[in-house]
Amino acid sequence: MAKKVLNVEDDADIRTFVTTVLEENGYTPIMAIDGAEGMEKVKKERPDLIILDILMPRESGIKMYHELKLDPSFKDIPIVMLSGVSKRTFLRSQAALTEFGDETVPEPQAYLEKPVEPEDLAETLKKILG
Amino acid sequence: MKVSKILFVSEFEELWLDALQSLMALRKAGMNNVVFLHVISRDKVAMRRGAGYLKQEERKLKEIADIRFIDWAETLFEEGMEVVAHIAIGNIVPKILSVAEIEGVDLIITARRKRAKLEELYAGSETSDLLRRTVKPVLIYNYLSQSGKVGENPFERLLLGLDWSVSSEKILDYVLALKGAVKRVDIVHVVGEKDVAKISRMEVHKLERSNKKRLDEVCDILANERFDARPHLYIGKVEEQIQKAASEHRTTMLVLGAKRRSIWKEKWSGSAAHSLADKSDLPVLIVPAEVK
Repeated sequence: MAKKVLNVEDDADIRTFVTTVLEENGYTPIMAIDGAEGMEKVKKERPDLIILDILMPRESGIKMYHELKLDPSFKDIPIVMLSGVSKRTFLRSQAALTEFGDETVPEPQAYLEKPVEPEDLAETLKKILG
Repeated sequence: MKVSKILFVSEFEELWLDALQSLMALRKAGMNNVVFLHVISRDKVAMRRGAGYLKQEERKLKEIADIRFIDWAETLFEEGMEVVAHIAIGNIVPKILSVAEIEGVDLIITARRKRAKLEELYAGSETSDLLRRTVKPVLIYNYLSQSGKVGENPFERLLLGLDWSVSSEKILDYVLALKGAVKRVDIVHVVGEKDVAKISRMEVHKLERSNKKRLDEVCDILANERFDARPHLYIGKVEEQIQKAASEHRTTMLVLGAKRRSIWKEKWSGSAAHSLADKSDLPVLIVPAEVK
């Protein structure tokens, strides 16, 4: 059975791009347009991997990532960050959330900065999901 | 009341990073969530005779907005704040209202918005339009002020214009929620010229005493919450006196109340708060009487 990959992304063009890459590589794409819808889809669909943008409406990828990694039911789902926000900022933001009393969370399985080449995205997914 | 989530509306031509940074004073009042909104005017991408919908132009403008927001958001993320962004195409006021509702913000921040002269004559400014239609507090920056710069902490010295209506109670509640960000509060009540024109001297003194008593009561409420609050009574035209008081007390922001009015009522009877929001060089915070 094809593995399910949830893509949380507000930009329609990038959603189309990621969907195409996923389908061409034999994965089942699931889409969410912001972090709030992303959390709903995670609970409903239990994806095998999540591709996560950061700056979106309603809930950012930074908050969603933190919530997932602190939730025992979802903390083991691999996450690939795909964003225009730098990795350095992402790591600092997670550290800042920890300072405010949350537990430390692990780094994501991969961090890709936009724009990403289709081959690089496919290869990253293959490395993680096999 | 609380001020934990703010909506920062920017067209990148009028509200800059310095305005955003100046709002960080609100962190001391519990603000930890920023919503960015950029609205691309429809006439930049559509409604052009013979050209159809300019999809490429839309993509380019959205990309520019996205890059700018990411740059702003990175600083806030690194401080542990939550940041979300909306980039939309359409009319600015309805988009502000809908995003404010979707995100459940506690404060809308926008620059003063003008329209073409003829349109403004009939429909008023976009700022007035927003103020008429929202039940959320709105902070209006005047990006055309002489210095062109936003002060480091606009919440440092507030001038509260109170008229003893329901709006005044709302203003007071809202300012109490800003505790931590505010250093000094000057509470001003303006007695209208007409109110004292036809009464005896004795009655003028009575009026003065009763207003001073009310001002002192408000000061006591603020002082109990450790605000440095001072009462001031002025006589004259509300708009003029508020501006005079602001200059005398080195105010950094005006805080005024407003009732929702129809466009016609607004046009003919006017509102000092809306007028100051349109004219003052200082940032103006308008707290609607209907705010929850």
